[in-house]
Amino acid sequence: MRDASEPGALPTPGGPRVRLLDADSAPLLVRDHFAGGDPGPIVASLAQVPELVGPTLPFLGAVLGPSWIPLREKEIVILRTSAVMGCRYCTDTHTVVALDSGLGRDEVRALRGDLPVAGAFSDAYERALISWCDAVAFGIESDIRPARAALDADDARVVELTLLVATTVMLNRYATALGLPVSVDARARLAEEAL
Amino acid sequence: MTALATALADESLGGRVWFYTNYHCNLTCSYCLTESGPKVARRELDRATVLDLAREAKDLGFSQIGITGGEPFLVTDLPELLAELAGVLPVLVLTNGTLFQRALLDRIAPLGDADVSLQISLDHPDPVANDVMRGPENFRKVVEAVPALLALGIAVRIATTLEDGDADDLPRLCILHRSLGVGDEDHVVRPILRRGRAETGDMGVRARYLDLPPELTITADGAFWSPFAPTVRGGSLDTDLLLSRTVRPLQRPVDAMITVLSGRPEGADSTLNIR
Repeated sequence: MRDASEPGALPTPGGPRVRLLDADSAPLLVRDHFAGGDPGPIVASLAQVPELVGPTLPFLGAVLGPSWIPLREKEIVILRTSAVMGCRYCTDTHTVVALDSGLGRDEVRALRGDLPVAGAFSDAYERALISWCDAVAFGIESDIRPARAALDADDARVVELTLLVATTVMLNRYATALGLPVSVDARARLAEEAL
Repeated sequence: MTALATALADESLGGRVWFYTNYHCNLTCSYCLTESGPKVARRELDRATVLDLAREAKDLGFSQIGITGGEPFLVTDLPELLAELAGVLPVLVLTNGTLFQRALLDRIAPLGDADVSLQISLDHPDPVANDVMRGPENFRKVVEAVPALLALGIAVRIATTLEDGDADDLPRLCILHRSLGVGDEDHVVRPILRRGRAETGDMGVRARYLDLPPELTITADGAFWSPFAPTVRGGSLDTDLLLSRTVRPLQRPVDAMITVLSGRPEGADSTLNIR
């Protein structure tokens, strides 16, 4: 049985901690997800429990995908959260997505923790948003309260952004625990950007 | 009418629910789908789970229970489980037929009055050729067991799994099973399926899921498309025909089965006589 991570993926040290399914080993209910090629390690691992794929992917798509909140803002949240949670897979993968979403190289470096946020982000709202992400990701009440006070956003926005942070944290834990591999394409792009 | 009732009525889904009671076996057959053997993990389904699911199956409209493995009669309390299952639905047990010594025959004697049938594997009319595939003394034990089981009033079927070229010996095998008291109507002939140890050994015919008649199959690892689906190769479970990891309530894998069935091409049916 082949491992979906074999072709073109850089394994984490020790490799993925579960077998990543491929088109040949994909269960009947989830075969469509493999029809267009490698669906990525989240789907390839989730496919081990096919009944989870159906409910999980639409949820992730609704929370992480396009919505009424601008993509730039969402990628700030996802990348920042992933970086502070120390998730290698999500940080590297979403560094590429963030760049493709229009964030600048220094902005991305700041979100990854390689540069001070204040120097890279001139917009006060975005700085407050990053502080909000940090506070929510770490989950410390005494940090969350002032971060919320500093974030100029209505309740609906706060709800969606909070769910976005929380969902990202969930995926960070999932990807880190299972040792999901970053794709070769993403690694190449990071090297190209010297990130 | 529910989708399940419709599928059972038009036979697009088999009426028998299969249970892999265990994966270990006293034999190490060269074409075994599940790489079973004496040293593999048992992965047993416990008795209460099998009974509960059998009752659920009956309530949902299924009409028969199938028991397979591994060698089911290695499960300590299998005779008692079979007696209880037969009170729910008719039961067919797939067995290699090599464990029916006097003590076990005494324990299963009450099954002569129950709706329990045994399907015993016998592949070749010649002991040597048969035992090459299935293990030493297999032939002798089977030809001794079949009359003994029939004498207890337990229905017996013979299942023959053929590799290319073996078909020429089939008439002699039929003479043999008739001499043992098993009629032609209770003789099942099927090809070796290229999965599990057969695939490793470059044997058998390759089958897509459309070639395998859908029959809900429950194992310790989840629910599968057919009893030919939860195969093992290189020690790893094949997941290509997995329906769901969740098996309780039975409605969950049933729903998964119905979903897959609904996406099946019109007119799809078994083409390889895999039964």
